[in-house]
Amino acid sequence: MRRVAITGIGIVSPLGNSVEEFHRALAEGRSGIARLPEEITRNSGVQVGAMTRWSPSPLLKEAEASNLDRVSQFALGAAAQAFAASGLDIAASGPERVGVSWGTGMGGAGAVDASYQQVYGKNEWRLRPLTVVMAMNNAAGSNVAVRHGLRGPFANFSTACSSSAMALGEAMRTIQAGRADAIVAGGAEALLTPGTLAAWQALRTLAPADAADPAASCKPFDKRRAGLVLGEGAAALVLEEESHARKRGATIHGFLTGYGNSCDAAHMSRPDKGGQIRAMREALTESGLAPKDIGYINAHGTATSVGDVVEAEAINTVFSESAVRVSSTKSLHGHLLGGAGALEFAVAMHALEEGLLAPTAFLEQPDPACRLNHVALKAERIAPPKAVMSNSFAFGGSNVVLIAQR
Amino acid sequence: MDTLARIKQLAAKEFSLEPDKLDAAASLDSLGIDSLSFIEFMFKVEEEFGVAVSDDDLKGIKTLADLERHVASALAAAGKA
Repeated sequence: MRRVAITGIGIVSPLGNSVEEFHRALAEGRSGIARLPEEITRNSGVQVGAMTRWSPSPLLKEAEASNLDRVSQFALGAAAQAFAASGLDIAASGPERVGVSWGTGMGGAGAVDASYQQVYGKNEWRLRPLTVVMAMNNAAGSNVAVRHGLRGPFANFSTACSSSAMALGEAMRTIQAGRADAIVAGGAEALLTPGTLAAWQALRTLAPADAADPAASCKPFDKRRAGLVLGEGAAALVLEEESHARKRGATIHGFLTGYGNSCDAAHMSRPDKGGQIRAMREALTESGLAPKDIGYINAHGTATSVGDVVEAEAINTVFSESAVRVSSTKSLHGHLLGGAGALEFAVAMHALEEGLLAPTAFLEQPDPACRLNHVALKAERIAPPKAVMSNSFAFGGSNVVLIAQR
Repeated sequence: MDTLARIKQLAAKEFSLEPDKLDAAASLDSLGIDSLSFIEFMFKVEEEFGVAVSDDDLKGIKTLADLERHVASALAAAGKA
């Protein structure tokens, strides 16, 4: 079996726009959640979010940036970092052997929102010609392919919160099957627009601002949890066939060895324990690991009243005899939806490499219904574990679980 | 500023080119302007001058000089020239 190594990581996030800044903020338990500006929230009723401080320059010229939706800009930023870190020579590898596997929930939400504001809000029907190619869901991944000249297998996944985890898992399969030697896999999301926020607010699933500290508005597994907090950003990982990476002397951060994928087939938004359990077990079986081998789980943990309990029950069912460490870092970077799976896999990778467990911040009053071996409040350092897991459980019932090993 | 100079300025910004190096007689292809980029650029030209260039006329535009002629005649027809 061809093994799949991780040789480069790139991050654009509410906690900083580099891997180093991101991990530093997680280690310090610094939250990227804040009150959103009024021009973004308008009358949606949404109060807080996790915005990314993003400047297209120097990566993109002003004119280039104005023709790219924010989601594509994030994707380009993360992918450029990942390639630079990996040192992969695309020309030497053969551009036909290098692919893109991307994920996004809502694609070019900014372009869609702008066009609707103009058409319905102002009754101005002359839209800019790039509206379609800026808004389409595959734009972010396609822009990465164009920018880096990647002519190998291309795929784009849109399964809400599991999109980019699926992009990573399917990229692993593609490399294992011999269809590519390297794939840049990840996801991006940029949906903090008035129209999108109004739609999310209507679901009654978003947390209001914490009265004392807006940065502490997202409290997964805590009795006081009040819902999720939307975020934006991107994460990209260069996945590479092991011998290909070794031949060029690349730094190998770990191996992606397990990919569980199941569907609840039960409800559009209410999660199902059975589907989550199946996905975790499938990933373990594929990795050839027992539950005790997993040293850390980055939970989906969105901080909704039902979701956190179901996930805790699912984890406790699979890991009955092990007190696996668990945290949800959404408390710090918010919920990146289509970008969440890849971003949180990067958090798990850091635990694998450095033994640094990022915390579930603000977890002062653990809910007894979410009884887990929490990494609460503060980051912890352990001996680097043998393997780590990252859970992504999505609206629509899609469950994706990834396992990385040393 | 005359019409061509304004068009060149817009094109320079849109395509990150030096305005002085934009040859009005050069084909759009040779300037690296593909059809999709050109349609988006036309949208901005129409906004700038407050004119509309028809789809039929658009097909005949191969250079910035062609574009300038269409914009100038549209301006004249609208009594803006």
